[in-house]
Amino acid sequence: MLEQLLIFTRGGLILWTCKEIGNALKGSPIDTLIRSCLLEERSGAVSFNYDAPGAAYTLKWTFHNDLGLVFVAVYQRILHLLYVDDLLSMVKQSFSEIYDPKKMAYDDFDETFRQLRIEAEARAEELRKTKQVGKPVSSVKKQGQVSKAGLEGGNKRISEGGSKKDDGDGSKAKVGNLTNGHSNENHGMEDDASQKTELANGKENTSSNIAVDLSKLQKLRSKGVRGRGGVRKADSIGNKSSKVAPVEPAKKATKKNRVWDDAAPKQSKLDFTDSVDENGINDHVDIVAADQGESMMDKEEVFSSDSESEDDDGEPGSDEKPEAKKKGWFSSVFQSITGKANLERTDLEPALKALKERLMTKNVAEEIAEKLCESVEASLEGKKLASFTRISSTVQAAMEDALVRILTPRRSIDILRDVHAAKEQRKPYVVVFVGVNGVGKSTNLAKVAYWLLQHKVSVMMAACDTFRSGAVEQLRTHARRLQVPIFEKGYEKDPAVVAKEAIQEATRNGSDVVLVDTAGRMQDNEPLMRALSKLINLNSPDLVLFVGEALVGNDAVDQLSKFNQKLSDLSTSGNPRLIDGILLTKFDTIDDKVGAALSMVYISGAPVMFVGCGQSYTDLKKLNVKAIVKTLLK
Amino acid sequence: MENLEDLKILAEQWFHQGIEYLQKIPPTQLYVAIGVMLVTIIFILSIRLVRRTRSNTVLLSGLSGSGKTVLFYQLRDGSSHQGTVTSMEPNEGTFVFHTENTKKGKIKPVHLVDVPGHSRLRPKLEEFLPQAAAIVFVVDALEFLPNCRAASEYLYDILTNANVVKNKIPVLLCCNKTDKLTAHTKEFIRKQMEKEIEKLRVSRSAVSTADIANDFTIGIEGEVFSFSHCCNKVTVAEASGLTGETVQIEDFIREYIKP
Repeated sequence: MLEQLLIFTRGGLILWTCKEIGNALKGSPIDTLIRSCLLEERSGAVSFNYDAPGAAYTLKWTFHNDLGLVFVAVYQRILHLLYVDDLLSMVKQSFSEIYDPKKMAYDDFDETFRQLRIEAEARAEELRKTKQVGKPVSSVKKQGQVSKAGLEGGNKRISEGGSKKDDGDGSKAKVGNLTNGHSNENHGMEDDASQKTELANGKENTSSNIAVDLSKLQKLRSKGVRGRGGVRKADSIGNKSSKVAPVEPAKKATKKNRVWDDAAPKQSKLDFTDSVDENGINDHVDIVAADQGESMMDKEEVFSSDSESEDDDGEPGSDEKPEAKKKGWFSSVFQSITGKANLERTDLEPALKALKERLMTKNVAEEIAEKLCESVEASLEGKKLASFTRISSTVQAAMEDALVRILTPRRSIDILRDVHAAKEQRKPYVVVFVGVNGVGKSTNLAKVAYWLLQHKVSVMMAACDTFRSGAVEQLRTHARRLQVPIFEKGYEKDPAVVAKEAIQEATRNGSDVVLVDTAGRMQDNEPLMRALSKLINLNSPDLVLFVGEALVGNDAVDQLSKFNQKLSDLSTSGNPRLIDGILLTKFDTIDDKVGAALSMVYISGAPVMFVGCGQSYTDLKKLNVKAIVKTLLK
Repeated sequence: MENLEDLKILAEQWFHQGIEYLQKIPPTQLYVAIGVMLVTIIFILSIRLVRRTRSNTVLLSGLSGSGKTVLFYQLRDGSSHQGTVTSMEPNEGTFVFHTENTKKGKIKPVHLVDVPGHSRLRPKLEEFLPQAAAIVFVVDALEFLPNCRAASEYLYDILTNANVVKNKIPVLLCCNKTDKLTAHTKEFIRKQMEKEIEKLRVSRSAVSTADIANDFTIGIEGEVFSFSHCCNKVTVAEASGLTGETVQIEDFIREYIKP
């Protein structure tokens, strides 16, 4: 049963709630929905999961953009109600007929709602019965109805990734696997016609109606991946490599080279460097040979997963292209002058597509651009065009709004204030710099130390990069130049223990801030990620700063989501520490391809706290939101 | 070609006729006419200048969850209807207060704007600041201490905003939800805010040229910050959105927007 159905304005006033269902909702699911989903530009997602002590709800919503109304339905997650989307669209239609901006109470709507609900439930019952018998025809009809319901953004593309837990999700590749392989995993509402035939062909069982919960989903997904990749060599990495985000063109190009080139020449190139070593000292031979073996194995696995995702990328892509109705030029000009037209999805498609292309040329990750466009579409559909505006300018304005909203930090990024607060409590303020290899953690750590010193804050550095040769020396040089104390224990020590001792030392000698440098690590590397989460769990730092370079493309999405996922999975306490802030480096190397900032902020929700734009100590600045938005949309 | 020549000759003739007509008018009348025109123009311009400072916009700002939307509907309709959720867009309205509906005569309506408090929607406030005549900063007196820092940062941003400083926009620090037993008093809240803003004054500084929103600092160097140091007037009041206790807010607004 539905827990609650609410209608409220975008300004925040509740217009109508269902009085029949008198259940008070536990926690505050609506507020959480607004804060973490709708205002985060994820309104293109299908549903939102909310967990409160004592209740697990799923929320679905739809907008009426013209009147500025939001319709939200809340139900228990364990009950898999099929009629919710249908009901929402019917409620939307009938309510917009009786809506009046002056009226604040709509008691007469109770009766209408009761009837609509009975109708929707009856229809769902009927469909379930016919589906169980196995007729694909009626379900195709239902599909027709469902597609009219306000399901934003292309059913095929969105997995249950509306929920926050599905961090690594969202790439077409995975959903492609999903929909083509095991269609019974999806919500009954989200299947599309092409899958129905597969369904009818006997994969169907009663579980088709049951919307799956997350654990089942993951299990089935891994099965599906292996099924498809069975021809190629088995992924020993398993799920993780298959979850690689959509491949960027550069990777595709190199991979293609490898496929038709002999593997041997490339190997011999590698052999070159090794043979030099071999010529040197003989006891290096074993170590070198072992290294050789590992790196090649890694590369092959990457290839197989890449080609898998490539195939899947192709199929959904071709399915997706809808037929845009071409309106005549004169009629569109006329409409732009009179401004009476309601914006339809087909109108918005070309403008949004152009905008998406533009964003991608500015180095925004492809899936982020996709999700953003869906969100903007959801917020514009059905809106009346103002007079003397073209569709493209409306879309541009909405997108600009959305971008400013995403890039504006959700919480204050005043580090100095936090440092002072920690100082009052006589504890040092601990900042941990994490990131993949070679992004500039140590350099930017020194810049941050310099900045803090300028604000009369005493800093101590902790060299917890005990793996890379020269890391400790690098930090020692910086410490000497800046004249700050450094805590180091040499190489091959446990970084978590080194950090712990560094913090104790700082408490003893009264340093205000401890900057902890860690070794760079790839997001797929399980043991290293485990070590990182051990460091964070043991020391509970005040700020976990993810250092990412602005040159990164689609990989930013993967890096951040995997880091967050690992940190939350491997955390020992109930409240996992995730990435709190982002430090964007090498900003001076990109002229106007500033999209990485957007991808990183969108996928993690963490604000950009610093921007590194050079190699000297003074090259550290704050993110200028308006300038970035302007550059992105130029 | 001939047409053009004809037109030219015609135009010249009209021109000469006009000049003759003008010369026929006695000079005094001409000067009077010109004088009247100039005076009217000056009058209109001066009215436009004066009217710009006399806008009737009042902003309701504050953190998310402090009760701005409830107050908005209380002031407008006398009740908060069926409740509110987090606002995603500003609520605007030009109206006379609900309590003033009973008064006779023509009262000047107030253009009240309820700006969403969510931090992602912070830029919306800056859109409305240039036309504001007064600002009501709503603070949750019940859950004050956990949100004290965020509230004081928001208030600091408002008080150091260029528009607010230049136009000396008065600010009312309104403590909402005072109907509850455990709500803090307005004196306590005022002192806490002053303390927090003092800390912010010390720690805030421009990191680089990239993003300077606030060119102004507030308070006097060397002295602990107090609201009396601001060049615009800052007062404190109490209110309760749920029970409809909005008298102090209405008085404040009416002080600056004469009925």
